Amino acid sequence: MDQHETTRRDFLKAGLVTAAATALGSGIVKPVGLWAATPNIKGPIKIGYLTVLSGTLAGYGEFHKMGALMGVEEINAAGGIAGNKVELEIRDSTLAAPACIQNARYFVDSWGADFLAGVDSSGQALALAPVVGELDRVLMVTHAATEKLTEDEVFKKGIKQVFRICTPTYQDGNAAAFVAKDLPVNTWATINPKYEYGYTTWNMFKDTLGKLKPGVKFTAESWAPFGTTDFRPHINTIMDAKPEGLYSVVWAGELITLVKQAKQAGLFDKIKHVMFPVGAAMDVLEGLGPEMPDNIWISGRYFFLYPDSDRNKEFVARFHKRWNHYPAYVSETAYSTMYAFKKAVEAAGSKETGKVVDALAGMELDSPAGHRVFRKEDHQAMYEVPWGLTKADPKYPFKIMGKQIVIPAKEFFNRPPFEGPGTHPPFKDSK
Amino acid sequence: MLQSLVHVCLAGISAGMFIWLVASGLTLVFGVLRVLNFAHGSFYMLGAYLCFAVLKAMGGNFWLGLLLGPLVVSMVGYVMERYLLRLVYHLELPYQLLLTFAMVLIFDDLVKMIWGAGSIGSPAVPGLSGSVSIAGREFPVYNLFIIAVGPLVALGLYGLLEKTWWGRIVRASASDREMALSIGVNVPLLYSGVFMFGAWLSAVGGALAVPYVGLLTTGMGEAIIISAFIVVVIGGLGSLKGAFLGSLIVGLLSSFGTRFMPMLDMFLTFGLMAAVLLWRPQGFFAEG
Repeated sequence: MDQHETTRRDFLKAGLVTAAATALGSGIVKPVGLWAATPNIKGPIKIGYLTVLSGTLAGYGEFHKMGALMGVEEINAAGGIAGNKVELEIRDSTLAAPACIQNARYFVDSWGADFLAGVDSSGQALALAPVVGELDRVLMVTHAATEKLTEDEVFKKGIKQVFRICTPTYQDGNAAAFVAKDLPVNTWATINPKYEYGYTTWNMFKDTLGKLKPGVKFTAESWAPFGTTDFRPHINTIMDAKPEGLYSVVWAGELITLVKQAKQAGLFDKIKHVMFPVGAAMDVLEGLGPEMPDNIWISGRYFFLYPDSDRNKEFVARFHKRWNHYPAYVSETAYSTMYAFKKAVEAAGSKETGKVVDALAGMELDSPAGHRVFRKEDHQAMYEVPWGLTKADPKYPFKIMGKQIVIPAKEFFNRPPFEGPGTHPPFKDSK
Repeated sequence: MLQSLVHVCLAGISAGMFIWLVASGLTLVFGVLRVLNFAHGSFYMLGAYLCFAVLKAMGGNFWLGLLLGPLVVSMVGYVMERYLLRLVYHLELPYQLLLTFAMVLIFDDLVKMIWGAGSIGSPAVPGLSGSVSIAGREFPVYNLFIIAVGPLVALGLYGLLEKTWWGRIVRASASDREMALSIGVNVPLLYSGVFMFGAWLSAVGGALAVPYVGLLTTGMGEAIIISAFIVVVIGGLGSLKGAFLGSLIVGLLSSFGTRFMPMLDMFLTFGLMAAVLLWRPQGFFAEG
């Protein structure tokens, strides 16, 4: 409800700034000429955002919201998209597919959304893809990570309206395997989520690591259902198996619980090499604070201290000033999504789905997370997020990523056509 | 193997004790008021958040949080019973479920407005934060404490209901409300009292969960209320003995399932509930 007020206020602010910027002819704002050249864009540009705002993961939705709102505020203050004001509405799509589909339909059919963005769970993304094709609106996925979305739905089935701005499971499975191959570990075990995301990442990790380091063994698996608050039975399973390494994509609050309970059980004393592919999420780092053990391998879909660029530093500073938080990875992906839409619409000179799809496919985007390219074939954004070891830093009340390893995206992203030789890492053309 | 068995048991029992703290109040309230309170899990969540709030305000004193947090929650329970539930006692069960479910959503949003939607990490309890070695593997002292608290609460409830004047009144009103009214029992007051007590029990469970789960989230109430409902169905609606044993069974089943039948762990609990519903729909320990 306050959301509407904000947009109204923003509208006025945006109007004033636009007028001023137009008068000054500032270099940042697209020149007036372009607006004249695109008379077929009739504003406002409406973006419907789908994220989880209730239940245990409601915090993720808040972080999406902060990023998306800040992006829209900035864009509107600088003249909007091709001179048109951007309107953003965010709806609670929970983590269940029906709620997500229902909201997407509402956005397009009743509210008149030009674009859709968001989506947290892999299950939701896979269910929503065909619906988006039918509704014929561009959907930019900012969080759901299953590679099946881009490999199967976009590439194989040709649902060209779907794009993804965050790293997919390649980061959690393949990139993790590249890091793991250099560790003195021959036996791995996992405590992973008992749903699509958990299965797909562990399989990818096993396949890729098996190829990179033949002879490595995978000795135990324990599958934690969504909403697990007691990881002791799972920790028991792992400690019985006595592996040298533990891999877990358990995420958000559940990862906080897992780390605390594993610590109590003495797991980190027994297992020296632990990898949490989504451990560099801000909610996890802040939630654990000093309780996060040192020397744990963590990564995410963006980490606020990488890359060391002005674009990123300014973004982090503005974000911290605006919300009194460091940006979570979903904040960055939501924020950059707004700029991706802006760039694509302005390049296409239209907000029609077909034209924007053409503009987005292959588009490059300078963003806080670095240089992104939306791969033509599967509409997956290619960019790098580092892997690193946790360490304390006096500047922050939580552990940060120490020693960072960056694996080039082209080395660990699966390649089209995603089947047959030469489509899964390791690739022959890389060292 | 022995080590594994011991730890699987310990994990199962400590998990079961949390469910017990919630299920006991749920079944007690149902037994006396005949209200199936969906928002009972919200008291668990409120207990956790208020304990945490006191803990923060009082420089990290968990015990003070455990004492004060649930007291505040029982006051919330009073308001809810006195001004909302009383309006639906005479209506059919679906109306009660709708109202109490609405309360779940309201409580969730209230917590979000006050403490934010993000997960909050919570500190360990001084004095109970370490681990002891049991059968050669570390086990948290705090979990042992929980394993002790559960049966103590059960004993306390038993004593209260079976051995005190108040307990006799409660039991009398539960079995025949009209008769209790006609012999001069202030039934509305009694209802408020029992409801507040149930809310307090659930809130104690939530407060105790703060260091155990190590995390506060909105929605933590919904997660536990489902287990509590299963327990109450298995044990028999209104039966405290059933709730205690049911909690142990569900806790152990889930722990053993995870360790030894990982692909069936969720099925085991729900399967047991389905079997109970089919063959003994009143539950194992239902009276009458």
